[in-house]
Amino acid sequence: MTDFTYPSVYFSYFLFVLLAGGAVFFFVRSLKDGYLGPNSEEPKYRMLKDDPDDVETQPTGAGAPRRP
Amino acid sequence: MAEAVKAIQPGISSTAAVASPEIHHDTTVKWFLLGAVGYFAIVGIIALIIAAKFVWPQFLGTIPYFTYGRMRPLHVNGMLFGWLLAADMGLAYYIVPRLCGVKLWSEKLGIATSILWNIIILSAIVTLLGGYQKGLEYADLPTPVAVLVVIAWVMFGVNIFATIATRKYNQMYVSTWYLMGTILWTAFVYLTGNFATLLPGITGVNQANLTWMYTHNAVGLIFTPAGLAVAYYFIPRASNTPLFSHKLSMVGFWSLAFVYVWTGAHHMIHGPISQWLQTISIVFSIMLLIPVWAVVYNFIATMKGEWHQLSDNVSLKFLMSGTVFYLLTCFQGPMHSLRSVNAIVSKTDWIPGHAHMAVLGTFSFIAMAGVYYVIPRVFKTTLHSEAAANWSFWLFLVGGLGMFTALWLGGFWQGWQWNNPSIPFIDTVVALKPVWMVRFFSGILIFSGIVLFLYNIWSTALGSGKAQAEPVRS
Repeated sequence: MTDFTYPSVYFSYFLFVLLAGGAVFFFVRSLKDGYLGPNSEEPKYRMLKDDPDDVETQPTGAGAPRRP
Repeated sequence: MAEAVKAIQPGISSTAAVASPEIHHDTTVKWFLLGAVGYFAIVGIIALIIAAKFVWPQFLGTIPYFTYGRMRPLHVNGMLFGWLLAADMGLAYYIVPRLCGVKLWSEKLGIATSILWNIIILSAIVTLLGGYQKGLEYADLPTPVAVLVVIAWVMFGVNIFATIATRKYNQMYVSTWYLMGTILWTAFVYLTGNFATLLPGITGVNQANLTWMYTHNAVGLIFTPAGLAVAYYFIPRASNTPLFSHKLSMVGFWSLAFVYVWTGAHHMIHGPISQWLQTISIVFSIMLLIPVWAVVYNFIATMKGEWHQLSDNVSLKFLMSGTVFYLLTCFQGPMHSLRSVNAIVSKTDWIPGHAHMAVLGTFSFIAMAGVYYVIPRVFKTTLHSEAAANWSFWLFLVGGLGMFTALWLGGFWQGWQWNNPSIPFIDTVVALKPVWMVRFFSGILIFSGIVLFLYNIWSTALGSGKAQAEPVRS
């Protein structure tokens, strides 16, 4: 039986392989850069202090006491 | 705050936690966000007209510009590119420089991108209303306009990647990863949907296969990573609470990168494509539960002990409602990719119910949260009206729930009728009129929310809020 979807399948799966290959490459690189290592939680604390221009714009809520 | 951060994570030095003293200009952010909010309202009117046409098919029916065939592509493309993608781009221009501790690489390039984006949206309105379109789902824009989209996207990508390249910190926060992914994935996905589908020999089922690969990945690899980048930034910022787990967020990002791209063919289940291709799309659709649950657990766990903030923080209201909708819509997706469920809901009103919960309930809610958070800050003022912001939230929530629920139930009902060959098709159309009536009145609530959102944001930008004398520096 002829499968008439082959041209589009070839094309889309070429893209899939390209994207999956890129994902594997950058995933391995991120492992080497320590993204799943002992200091991997550091960015989440840093981002809370990332804006020197920040102003208090809501009278309540955003300024409420936080858990330690 | 620095002490609190050190108490949570003693290994983090206070110098690492202190951000750059450089001032962000945010002109590009303002242009993109104010334009996006304006288009949200304009396209909202189109949405109401379409909803009315379902109930009263003769409504504006004799005027060519207002026929369903022209209104529907304008609604879809306007909401996706005029509102949501423009809002996400504006928020990316806000988020990335801050996360990288540097200024935006080129404010001039950003403004040029914004001008080009407005030209694109206005061209889309003119061409789609004039009946010039490709007739491909989410890729209706005429080819010259699609080329402009590619140029604008390259300008956006260059600016964001160049900013990231000059970052002060080696390790990037997860939002930066998602935004980089959005830019790269969009390039592949958009080119496929808008140009590869037009190649010689790509006709019939082949064109449909590529179109659905594009359409599903437009949501999964453009709006999902962009929306999650925004949510990962604004949930911790709006609640002033550290993300539960950065490691888990990276697991979610990489699992999304691996599994999402394979799922598009589930739109053609029971259609004239290979069974093996359908099965692959089903398997990967089920695997989507991994990144989705990783994301949702992270967001919910971040809010542990902080839920009280929802009472007076409108950004958090939108963000956490968006999280719940994300969980629901991403449970629906894998489930209706199963052959047995798909046999009932495919091509019915269930699908627009599902799509609206993803694009409106999840990613528009998240984008609105970002806009409510960012606009007062970039204009150095307070939000014009907290009360109006709360009203807009409840109008969106109640209207959205009304529309989603009506379309899910109506879609199942429609599917069961379609599976009964003794019922004439026209009877299944007439039977759904009450469902479409609910959708229309829900649409009025949603549009009222849009109008309040527009009024509040533009009033804030025009200086109706209380000016802030000095930034808070701690």
